Amino acid sequence: MSAEKKSIYPDKPELQFENKRKFTNKREPLVDRENRKTVGQPTVENPRMSCLNVNVYYGDKQAIHDVTLDIGRNEVIAMIGPSGCGKSTFLRCLNRMNDTIDFCRLTGTILLDGKNIYDKDVDVVPLRAQVGMVFQKPNPFPKSIYENVAYGPKIHGLVQNRAETDEIVETSLRKAGLWEEVKDRLNQPGTSLSGGQQQRLCIARTIAVGPEVILMDEPCSALDPIATARIEDLIDELRENFSIAIVTHSMQQASRVSQRTAYFHLGDLIEVGSTDQVFLNPLHQLTEDYVTGRFG
Amino acid sequence: MSETSNIDIVKKGLGKRYRAEKRFRIYGICAIASSLIFLAFLFISIGSNGYTAFQQTFIRLTVHFDPEILGDTTNRESIASANFPSIVKQSLSMMFPEVTSRSDKRLLNALISSGASYNVRDIVIENPNCIGKTMQVWVPADDDVDMLIKGHINREAQEGERRLNDKQLGWIEQLEKDGNLKKRFNMTFFTAGDSREPELAGIWGAVSGSFFTMIVTLVLSFPIGVAAAIYLEEFAKKNRWTDIIEVNINNLAAVPSIVFGLLGLAVFLNFFGMPRSAPLVGGLVMTLMTLPVIIIASRAALKSVPPSIREAALGVGASQVQMVFHHVLPLALPGMLTGAIIGMARALGETAPLLMIGMVAFIVDIPSGFTDPSTALPVQIFLWADSPERGFLEKTSAAIMVLLTFLIAMNALAVILRKKFEKRW
Ligand SMILES: Nc1ncnc2c1ncn2[C@@H]1O[C@H](COP(=O)(O)OP(=O)(O)O)[C@@H](O)[C@H]1O
Ligand SMILES: [Mg+2]
Repeated sequence: MSAEKKSIYPDKPELQFENKRKFTNKREPLVDRENRKTVGQPTVENPRMSCLNVNVYYGDKQAIHDVTLDIGRNEVIAMIGPSGCGKSTFLRCLNRMNDTIDFCRLTGTILLDGKNIYDKDVDVVPLRAQVGMVFQKPNPFPKSIYENVAYGPKIHGLVQNRAETDEIVETSLRKAGLWEEVKDRLNQPGTSLSGGQQQRLCIARTIAVGPEVILMDEPCSALDPIATARIEDLIDELRENFSIAIVTHSMQQASRVSQRTAYFHLGDLIEVGSTDQVFLNPLHQLTEDYVTGRFG
Repeated sequence: MSETSNIDIVKKGLGKRYRAEKRFRIYGICAIASSLIFLAFLFISIGSNGYTAFQQTFIRLTVHFDPEILGDTTNRESIASANFPSIVKQSLSMMFPEVTSRSDKRLLNALISSGASYNVRDIVIENPNCIGKTMQVWVPADDDVDMLIKGHINREAQEGERRLNDKQLGWIEQLEKDGNLKKRFNMTFFTAGDSREPELAGIWGAVSGSFFTMIVTLVLSFPIGVAAAIYLEEFAKKNRWTDIIEVNINNLAAVPSIVFGLLGLAVFLNFFGMPRSAPLVGGLVMTLMTLPVIIIASRAALKSVPPSIREAALGVGASQVQMVFHHVLPLALPGMLTGAIIGMARALGETAPLLMIGMVAFIVDIPSGFTDPSTALPVQIFLWADSPERGFLEKTSAAIMVLLTFLIAMNALAVILRKKFEKRW
């Protein structure tokens, strides 16, 4: 590692590389690379969702090993890790999107407000209204902007007439910071927007249903830096009303938007902690390797 | 390390690369040109054989509606049995009073189609007041005369080698000279059913038969095929059973059509006792044949809908059915329609299975429903192609032209529908 290595926190000047070095010198020895037990504090008080001993298998292959992790209220939790480590898999378990894959199997418990979402009597349709999802590639429906946002409320019966629909469309687009840009062309296809606008449209579509949790799987990976910054600001605003779990491959992004960070490695949850702690003072050797750019 | 740099090596290889590209282009152009030549040859040969069928030779008769010969013409039944052939013969012999002997009269009458008396009868049915009056009527000439006028019979040939003898040739020349013989547009071809006489045969019976057959096929195979495809693609768990079903559907699409005909014969006719030669049964057989095509095309169309759209729908809490019907189906529909139309076009041109269920019978009446005995366009072509009369040769080509027109129209429709409904995502 060269000493001139650029800070990985360009927007937080107080956390320059030198500071970090001093800090590391003082701390206890790191957990060995071979140890795959989760270190840090995976649970929070009064969680929105909590996952207990979750294992996920694709056929015979195990993609997630015994993960226990809570998602708190009004927080943004970032999930980071090298690609293929199971971040998306884990995220998709939280609203049972993996049900669509025939050979995907899950053991363990995932509680939403105290109720196991994998119980036999749980219906995935209302579950997905409660736990919404934003995908990596912006995927608006090939319909008008208005229809995109109105679709969720319509199928869930949240709106009875045109006026109510108009209102929910407007508030959702406002919350997603897109209203000013599209209010004059609500009837144009959603696919005619730019990539960043499309992604905000997808966020508006998700929040129109009024979820409690929003899952985001690398929502900015297909966007340019300016669009990314807008979405990051938006995530920060949305935290007031929602719990957000975001998968990202960008450590800067994780440090900018999240309060807690979970580091995954080859299907194991290696470390969980407050974002500052994980980036500045990781407890596990693998986490340190990753956040210092030595790996991944 | 050698002296030559990488770019020199690249440049040296360039010529070879461009030559390969050029060669490939030439292959492609050759392939397209040869298929175009074959196609042009096909169209030209059909067209040049068939275009004459759209015209037909008519002879003008001066008909005296003599109540004494006709007998009772007071109501429909009696008109139907009235003696119109004598009226026609009488007007002919008035034109050629010099023909007196029995055998000559027979030769003279042979110039006029045996259907001429029906033309005359139709005039009476339409206008009963004409009884006792004299009118000029254009009636179809016999097919031999028609062939002569169209140049398919050589006037210079030895008398024994042509179907019209010298006396008949003389009468025909007389008719031509007096302006009593003319080629006119052949309406009969588009409005009549089949006939033993080429000049009276038309394709409307076959077109109607094909139409009813296609209706049955479309109404059954499209909904069933699309429903099966949606279920298999979107709802069924992927396991051994769906694999077996998939393999079987693919096999069915490759089964020769005659086998479906035999199946139809055994099941629909012999077991269920459905009527023979009926478009209903033809449609059922065609449905069996078209279903696998539609299922395969529809599944491909469903597969090509990007998974991101499904995820988006599921992500906002759409149920499986809502996802399919609100989002996937609208995107897959153009592909499904294309598959269905192509399957239907194949069914329209299919002959073999219809032979097995009796739609090959000689049927003069035009079918008016799904259970009336009828034939179909390709079978009509087969029947005419098999007939010995020279007059059916041009009819065969003309019928092929009609069939090709339908096929081209259907394929064009498929393209238009796809263009119209195709959405970008
Ligand atoms: N649909 C699938 N079928 C089989 N294996 C999968 C599937 N999706 C993901 N995997 C496997 O699960 C592991 C985790 O993948 P994923 O969750 O997509 O990783 P990440 O999002 O962290 O890059 C990978 O090894 C991947 O190959
Ligand atoms: Mg991923």
